Amino acid sequence: MSNFSSALWAEMLKMFRSKVPLFTAIGFSMAPLAGGLFMIILKDPEAAKSLGLITTKAQLLTGTADWPSFMGFMAQAVAAGSMILFSIITIWVFGREFSDHTVKELLALPTSREAIIAAKFIVLSIWSLVITLLIFGEGLIVGILVVIPGWSIDLLQTSLVDILGGAALTLPLMSFVALLASSGRGYMPAFGWTILTLFMANLSAILVWGDWFPWAIPGLFSGVAGPRTETLGTHSYILLLITSIIGIVATFWWWRSADQTR
Amino acid sequence: MEFAIETNGLTKRFGNVIAVDSVDLRVKRGEIYGFLGLNGAGKTTTIRALLGMIRPSEGNVQVLEQVVGPNGRGPWAKVGHLVENPSAYPELSVRENLDIARRLHRIENQSVVNEIIERLGIASYADRKAGTLSTGNLQRLGLARALLHDPELLLLDEPANGLDPAGVVEIRELLRDLSQKQGVTVFMSSHILTEVDRLATRIGIIHKGKLIEELDADKLERLRAKYLLIKAHNVNAARNALKSAGYTILSSHDNEIRLNDLRAVAAPDEVAQVLVRAGVPPTHLAVEQENLEDHFLRLTSQ
Repeated sequence: MSNFSSALWAEMLKMFRSKVPLFTAIGFSMAPLAGGLFMIILKDPEAAKSLGLITTKAQLLTGTADWPSFMGFMAQAVAAGSMILFSIITIWVFGREFSDHTVKELLALPTSREAIIAAKFIVLSIWSLVITLLIFGEGLIVGILVVIPGWSIDLLQTSLVDILGGAALTLPLMSFVALLASSGRGYMPAFGWTILTLFMANLSAILVWGDWFPWAIPGLFSGVAGPRTETLGTHSYILLLITSIIGIVATFWWWRSADQTR
Repeated sequence: MEFAIETNGLTKRFGNVIAVDSVDLRVKRGEIYGFLGLNGAGKTTTIRALLGMIRPSEGNVQVLEQVVGPNGRGPWAKVGHLVENPSAYPELSVRENLDIARRLHRIENQSVVNEIIERLGIASYADRKAGTLSTGNLQRLGLARALLHDPELLLLDEPANGLDPAGVVEIRELLRDLSQKQGVTVFMSSHILTEVDRLATRIGIIHKGKLIEELDADKLERLRAKYLLIKAHNVNAARNALKSAGYTILSSHDNEIRLNDLRAVAAPDEVAQVLVRAGVPPTHLAVEQENLEDHFLRLTSQ
């Protein structure tokens, strides 16, 4: 039994026994259902008129009732939603050790602290990506059920890249959430950080310098402000990578070095 | 000399507060070391420093002859611990909590979990979620986790917390057995001084961060002050009679008088004669010895 596999087994057991994966999956599953609702509204303009604001919002978000619009909505919803839902997962994985006072059971063990933190990052990544894939699958089913035109294999591949790419770009940024859930010794500082970064990401996108703000990059990748080839550059991905590495290194450093008084 | 625990000038500051101040601990292998102190005296900070959970501001810590930390380094495969209140993952069963500890201690043999469950008397709760346990059973779970890997050294912070009287006796016997039969070193802090008094072979008293006394249980026995306790119906008359006979009164209140001069402690019969002659015969006369609690309170009130 290796250092890392022991830690991974422990983290997996904690995840499977928790209700948080179920709740996050249910929360995330609202995105395809909302997309499907917009498609139904857009397919029937008469019914849409009677629904007032919902119709306006639906047109604003998707334009026409077809597969490209639906998958575009899905990618943007996942990009926006994943920042919150992945944060909840990360906050739970790290912050619960402090709120349940179990952190002291993880510090003086033959299994290294580094292995435990690496296992936590792996588990939250697997959990987040599985939920994203489930949502993608649910989106396909919803799209088929509402019967919209414009389906193609190319669209399937492009959508998968958009959705999984957005999720993959969001995940490394969770290192800062992990750091704050640890150093803040609980849930609230990390929640505050998530709200702050979401606000700043929106602000930076509006001010058209989102390509320089790492937390705006997953949203821009999903096409929320136009094709990503126009809104993002290589510098954006490098910046996101450097930022994420800083977050991960800081989290490991904190667990290795900070005084653990709880 | 091989020490299970050795600290040299261990100091921990939190801002301007000195939680632990130049503590030099020496705990021999196989000892049961009782670590006493008032709330905030520095007991838990010391235990956390021994476990590498906090970095000393000054000094160093060696556990089982290995330097502790930085970065969580230490002989943790041979050390079991219970720090402050016991904790567990509430949505996991007792068995699953212990199975996680088994994995993290990298023990292949799965049967150790059942063995420790039996040993700590929590078999009937084994499949119950830890979040539903009483404080006493949660404490037993914490002790089970500390003992799971047959450690050479146990660092226990208030091990009797939350246990019922039968549980206190059971854990005392368990720890004594581990020390005597398996040579396990036990370092335990406790507020229950009678427990430390009954169990510890060596005692350290920490006060305001400083280790103010360290002594063997045998020496404590010799150090404990003895006094003669006298009760009488007319305490004032008895006190006057004793003063007239040249005895020094240690204290006198309500219906009792305490004498601690050697003459009184060595010959209580002579004291009885003095009182009888004065017409105030004692209703109670006994040589008593201060307990650890008295000794501790006397030291920490100075």
